[in-house]
Amino acid sequence: MNQLAEAVGFGLVDAAVIALAAVGLSLQVSVTNFINFAYGDFMSFGAYVTYAANAAGLNFFPSVAVGAAGTGLLGVVSNWVVFRPLMRRKSRTLILLICTVGLSFIVQNVIVMIWGPNAEHYSVTVGNALHLGPFLFTPGDLILIGVAFTLLLALHLFMQNTKFGTALRATSNNDDLAQACGIDTGRVVMWTWAISGMLCAVAGVGLALETNSLRPTTGFNELFVVFGAIILGGIGRVYGAMLGALVIGILTEISAMFISPVYSGALAFTVVIVVLLLRPQGLLPGRGRSA
Amino acid sequence: MLQIEEVEFAYGGSQAVAGCSFDVPDRKVTGLIGPNGAGKSTLMEIIAGGLTPSSGRIVFDGTEIQGLGRIRVARLGIIRTFQTPRELTRLPVMENLVFAAPNQIGERPLQSLFRRGRWAAQERELRLKAESLLEWVGLTKLREEPAGSLSGGQRRLLEIARAMMAEPKLLLLDEPSAGVFPAVRKLIAERIREMVERGITVLVVAHNMAFLSDVADDVVVMAQGKVLRRGTLSEVRADESVVAAYLGGGHVGGTS
Amino acid sequence: MLYFIADLLALGAINAIMAVGLNLQYGQAGILNFTYYTFVAIGAYVGAVTTMGHPPVPASEETFILQWSLPWPVALLLAGVVAGVLGLFMVLVVIRRLRSDYLAIVTVSLGFIVWDLITNYVPLFNGANGLFNVPYILNGATASEITYTLEVFGVAMVVLAVCVWVVRSIFRSPYGRVLRAIREDDVVAASFGKATTSSRVWAFVLGCVMAGLAGALLVFYVNAWNPQGFLAEESFILMAAIVIGGPGNYWGAVLGTFVFVELLSEIERYLPNFGNGALVGAGRAVLIGIVLIVVIRFRPDGLIPERWLRWYRVPAGGGQGGPAGFQSPGAPRRRLGWPRVGQRGEI
Ligand SMILES: Nc1ncnc2c1ncn2[C@@H]1O[C@H](COP(=O)(O)OP(=O)(O)O)[C@@H](O)[C@H]1O
Ligand SMILES: [Mg+2]
Repeated sequence: MNQLAEAVGFGLVDAAVIALAAVGLSLQVSVTNFINFAYGDFMSFGAYVTYAANAAGLNFFPSVAVGAAGTGLLGVVSNWVVFRPLMRRKSRTLILLICTVGLSFIVQNVIVMIWGPNAEHYSVTVGNALHLGPFLFTPGDLILIGVAFTLLLALHLFMQNTKFGTALRATSNNDDLAQACGIDTGRVVMWTWAISGMLCAVAGVGLALETNSLRPTTGFNELFVVFGAIILGGIGRVYGAMLGALVIGILTEISAMFISPVYSGALAFTVVIVVLLLRPQGLLPGRGRSA
Repeated sequence: MLQIEEVEFAYGGSQAVAGCSFDVPDRKVTGLIGPNGAGKSTLMEIIAGGLTPSSGRIVFDGTEIQGLGRIRVARLGIIRTFQTPRELTRLPVMENLVFAAPNQIGERPLQSLFRRGRWAAQERELRLKAESLLEWVGLTKLREEPAGSLSGGQRRLLEIARAMMAEPKLLLLDEPSAGVFPAVRKLIAERIREMVERGITVLVVAHNMAFLSDVADDVVVMAQGKVLRRGTLSEVRADESVVAAYLGGGHVGGTS
Repeated sequence: MLYFIADLLALGAINAIMAVGLNLQYGQAGILNFTYYTFVAIGAYVGAVTTMGHPPVPASEETFILQWSLPWPVALLLAGVVAGVLGLFMVLVVIRRLRSDYLAIVTVSLGFIVWDLITNYVPLFNGANGLFNVPYILNGATASEITYTLEVFGVAMVVLAVCVWVVRSIFRSPYGRVLRAIREDDVVAASFGKATTSSRVWAFVLGCVMAGLAGALLVFYVNAWNPQGFLAEESFILMAAIVIGGPGNYWGAVLGTFVFVELLSEIERYLPNFGNGALVGAGRAVLIGIVLIVVIRFRPDGLIPERWLRWYRVPAGGGQGGPAGFQSPGAPRRRLGWPRVGQRGEI
């Protein structure tokens, strides 16, 4: 029982990280309508930029802000250079998907070229584990959960209460219609890339902290867990992604503790496949995006 | 030939076809008209097997076909064109035509590899037939062009030729005359009449009255998912409820 | 130098088999298989465990299933069959239900699961350590290195010839046309009564068989195999090479693979290491990524587009009918040629 609680606790930390990434990716997918294989590498990129800023003498939290800004910029530039021209040409989803794979190659290996293939560590420590009720958390974990919660809440408020949020939701529902209503969908798409880039950078930092190491493949290896979360939640449904993250985070930790950690990756993939086959609209009831 | 009986269908919450019934008589052209959003395309899609009605029956040659799926419906001899033409854009016009022929021996993977002689003979005949169909619609010169490079009117013609290639018993045409020049529209109307003379039954959606008076033996008016009236074109046009439906739908059918 | 060329030829022929198979799946049938290399690996493992026999004395050193000592041609065929059967299972489960981009995610996921399983479940194929001492084929045990390389090249060429024959026959047949139609618009294909599912299933399975054959040849050539040999990256690179070369056109696929999979990695081996050790490899991947995106942007049908192939050829004499001297009206006048102005690619 105690062990189970611990696993759930670890799962919560995982879920916080996954949720940030999954919400970011889900946001992008809901607006652009293609799945992004480079997203994991965006996470690594954010974590590395943070690392570099930190190593250059900046404090940790400002460094994270720098990493987030850098990754947001990376998203915007990728959209500008790679995806926008193709979407204008009405390329098929498959072609865009292949392009994201190319982008993934580029980002991941540029990281290798700049920072080398070996693991790096942040200079901050997460502190000693302490018991909170049945759970076992480090202060770092708590901060991570807090940050994730705050960011997601902020995003929620932003989406619901600003004109831009409305425009974004309209675009993700039906971009032709949104355009006809006078919404500048190009700008919406650009900001979507920026926001999703920033979210995934923070997720990348969290991931590196949590595993206490940062490699060029860190993000890519997490990509399918993130896919698992957004598929569970229903592809392109932002709030579903949060739920999906929670489910998959706790599930992988429980399986790691009670079955074997080596198969927790395989578990995530199995979840992806089974859910896609049986409930392609995600776990939540209601209309999935049929796109 | 085809009986549509109390068919209903809804997209999510919105009822697109709400208890629609009518017959399509053998070897006749039946026009299907109605304001935009009346559910005409949806009904065509249901007949073609792309959508399953939530209730009602569709009977073709005495067998129920609702919910059979596109492939089996097509194999029964019901062939359709699309409201927005869907060519295989990167394939040449010729391939777009020959592809449509039914029962090709060489379509089976193993036969394609090991029975070359058998399918090659059939292929030759199909190509001759496709050639004559191209002539029929006046696209002979474009036979090697990718279908994606054709103009709107040419696409409509190619769709009709392609449907003919499939040797249909019942042809579903969704707005074959929309967005084409009057001369092409005349040609399309002529070709449709010729099809009927060859024994094909046609159900055609159209807005243009001149076109309809050229092709349709009989007209069914749909509004809000139901059949409003049925009769010859002039009868229907004189009917006040039909006029009201069009005006209410915010759309006046093309003038003659 | 001579050995370098021989090696290039042997690996080139093996890679070409993969290119032809993957091209059948993606280029013709439009199925985005991001885990093609998993089937290559399956072929390699099957080829290995069916020819290696019992491991040498300290039996604990290598553990693996089967431990047969079949003659290599049988093992080769078996490798193709097993890869094909696994491909069949996979495609049957997913193809009906998923739109093509989700299918791509599923292929990657399945690839990872297989990889995890093989790496962690040691009794199967000796886990992460992999198999070594896979026997030579032909007279490889006694022949010089270069002779053996050329022999493998010869065998691979024979297999390649068969694969190209299959793919070419399909390409020119009505079946190939159905595949292309499904690839362009599966709703239209279904609306004309074409067997959309079974056509794609067959293409996928045949592609997997070719992967299995290539894998077995590879393991006979390099004599060892382990999970590091089929990382997900390999499949991505292979796919990128096909897209760059020209999906749909098997020559484009072969060219793309030769340049981007093989030549680059060979060159990389001979480049001096400067900077950090991984720099050259990373540079290659970045290059592939950039070329991929640039090609998709500016030459969406690849370097050698499908339309350069003769669409269709009705074999002469093979049946009655058709007036004497009748020329197949569909045969384009040029065989290979630069596309005319106004021909559009993907739109
Ligand atoms: N794919 C769809 N999803 C949701 N609603 C649809 C869809 N297609 C059509 N509709 C709705 O169904 C109704 C009937 O549409 P349709 O059959 O296209 O009419 P028509 O062809 O007579 O103009 C309309 O109200 C339309 O908005
Ligand atoms: Mg319509």
